[in-house]
Amino acid sequence: MASARSQDSTPGAFISRLFYRESTLGPILLSPGFIFLAVMMAYPFIYAVFLSFTDKVTGGAPTFNGLENYQKLFSTDLFRKTVVNSVVYTVFALVLKFLGGLGLASVLNRPFVGIRYAKALMLLPWIMPTVFSTMIWQWILAPGFSVANVVLVDKLHLFAEPLPFLRDETLSMASLIGINIWRGLPFFAITFLAAIQGVSTEILEAAKIDGATPWGAFWRVTFPIILPVVIVVILISTIGTLGDFDLPYLLTRGGPNNSTTLFSLTAFTLTFNSGLIGIGAAVTMTMFPLLIVLIVSSLIMVRRRQQG
Amino acid sequence: MNTNKLARKALKALPFYLLVAAIMVFLLFPFYWGFVTSLKTENDVYKFTGNFLIPENPTLSNYQLLFTQKDYFRWFANTFSVSLISTFISTVISVMAGFAIARLRFRGAALAGTLVFVTYLAPRGFLFVPLAQLLRDIGLLGEMSALYLTYPTFLVPFATWLLSGYFTNVPHEPEECAQVDGASRIGAIVRITLPMAMPGILTAGIFAFTASWNELLYSIAFVNGAQNKMLTSGVVGAFTMGDFLVYGPMMAAATMASLPIALLYIFFTDRFVSGITAGATKG
Repeated sequence: MASARSQDSTPGAFISRLFYRESTLGPILLSPGFIFLAVMMAYPFIYAVFLSFTDKVTGGAPTFNGLENYQKLFSTDLFRKTVVNSVVYTVFALVLKFLGGLGLASVLNRPFVGIRYAKALMLLPWIMPTVFSTMIWQWILAPGFSVANVVLVDKLHLFAEPLPFLRDETLSMASLIGINIWRGLPFFAITFLAAIQGVSTEILEAAKIDGATPWGAFWRVTFPIILPVVIVVILISTIGTLGDFDLPYLLTRGGPNNSTTLFSLTAFTLTFNSGLIGIGAAVTMTMFPLLIVLIVSSLIMVRRRQQG
Repeated sequence: MNTNKLARKALKALPFYLLVAAIMVFLLFPFYWGFVTSLKTENDVYKFTGNFLIPENPTLSNYQLLFTQKDYFRWFANTFSVSLISTFISTVISVMAGFAIARLRFRGAALAGTLVFVTYLAPRGFLFVPLAQLLRDIGLLGEMSALYLTYPTFLVPFATWLLSGYFTNVPHEPEECAQVDGASRIGAIVRITLPMAMPGILTAGIFAFTASWNELLYSIAFVNGAQNKMLTSGVVGAFTMGDFLVYGPMMAAATMASLPIALLYIFFTDRFVSGITAGATKG
C-alpha cells in the first residue's frame, strides 16, 4: 500500500498524492471558500466601484459618467448629514462603550453572590436579535405615553412634559446611540474582563507592595497590558458601528429630517426607494477610505498580538 | 459579635450590590417589558396607572393572533430553513479553509489568512448594492434562494477566522500517529482532528445560525413577496395600522421570534462566551 502510493502513476495514485502533499492539499481545501468569496465579495466590490462611476438607475443600462455621482453627492444636504451623523454616532457610542465596558469589567472582576448568572444574563442584549430588541425599545420610547416617559415625567418628575424621543432630531440621535451602547456594552465588558483576568497576579502584587492604590495600579499596570485587546475591540466595533444599518432603519428610518441616517441606510434609501443605483453605490464607496484604514490597523494590531 | 461583624460586612457590600442590580435592570428591563406587554390585553397595553409592570389581566390573545396570521409561521419556517442551510454550507467551507490556513504549509497560506480577516471585517452595509445587481444578473433577486447564496458572505469569513484559530491549538501528534499507523491524511483529519476540534466547530455553527437568524438588511433588500420573507423583515412591517403601531401583538411576535436564540443561548452559554472572546462582534 505505502509503496504503491509513492511509485504508482495511475490516476488513483495521482489523486491520492494531491490529497497527501501539503502544497496541493492546502489549495484544494481552501478553494471552495476562496472561489466563493472571490465571486461574492471581491467581484461585487469591483462591481460597486464600476457602478459608482455610472448613471445606473433601476431598469436602465449603466453609462459611464465619471465623477458626477460623487460631485452630486458631496453637494447634497443628505450626504453632509450622513457624514456628520455617522461621526457623531460612532464617536459617542465608542467612547461610552469603552468607558462603560471598562467599568462593567471591573465590577465583574470582583467576586459576588450570583456572578455566574449575572454574567450569563448580562450578555442578552448582545445575543438577542437586534431587530426584535429594537422593536421593544421603539415601544419603550414611543411618542406620547410610553414607559420611559411615565418614569421620567410621572414617577421621577424630572421633566414636565413627555420627551419626543423619536420625533426630535437630537433626542433621536441620542436614543440611537443609547441603544447601540445598550447592545454593545456586554461585548466590551466580557472581552475586557477576559483580558484583565489574564494579567498575572504577581505583577499586581508587586505594584501593591510598591504602594500603588488600586486605581493607580489599574491605569499604570493593568491597562497598558490589556491595551492591545482594547484597541482591537474598539477598531472592530468602530467598523461595525460605522457600517450599521439595522438600528437606524428600525428605530427611525433615518428620520426625522435625515437626522439619524448613516452611510448604509442612505445608500439603501437611494438605491431601493429612489432607484438611483449609481449614486447608492457611490455612497457605500465613500466609506471605503475610512474602512481600509480601520481594517489595516486592526490587522496590524492582531498580528502584533499573535506574535507577542 | 460574629453576627455583628457579618452584618457590618453585608452593609459595606450593599452599595456594590445595588450598583450590580442597577446595571442588570438597565440591560434586562427591555426584555422584561417586551414580554410583559405581550401578555396584556389591548386596553391594558396603553394603561400606565397602578402597577403597570405586572399584567393586570394576563392573556395569551396576542399570541393567538399570531396563529391566525398564516404568514408569521411561514416566516418562521423560512428563517429556520435559510439559517440551517446557510449555516451548514458555511461551516463545511470554513472547516476546510480554516484547517488549511492553520495547519498546512503551502504557498499563499498566510495571505489567505489575511484576506479572511479583511473580509470578516467588511461590514454588511458595504456591498449590498452590487450584490443586489449581481443577484439580478443571475436571476435570483427577489427569490428566497438569494439568501442561501448571500448569507454565507458574512458567515464564511467569520467562521473561517474562528476555526483557523481553533485548529492552531488542536495538537498535531494524534493525526501524525494515525498516519504512521496507515491512515491516509484525509482519513486522519476526518477521524482524529475533526472530532478533537468539535467544540470549535460547534461554536462556529452556533454563531453562524444566530447571525443568520438575526439578519435584516439582505432579507429586506434581496427578497420580494410576503411569502418569501424572513422573520426579521416580515415582523418589521407587519404590526402597523396606518401610522399606528400595534404594540401588544408586536411584542408577542418579537418574543416568539427571539425564543429560538434564547434557547440556543441557554443550552450553549459557554460556546457563546468563548466565541465572543475570540472576537465575534457586530458593533
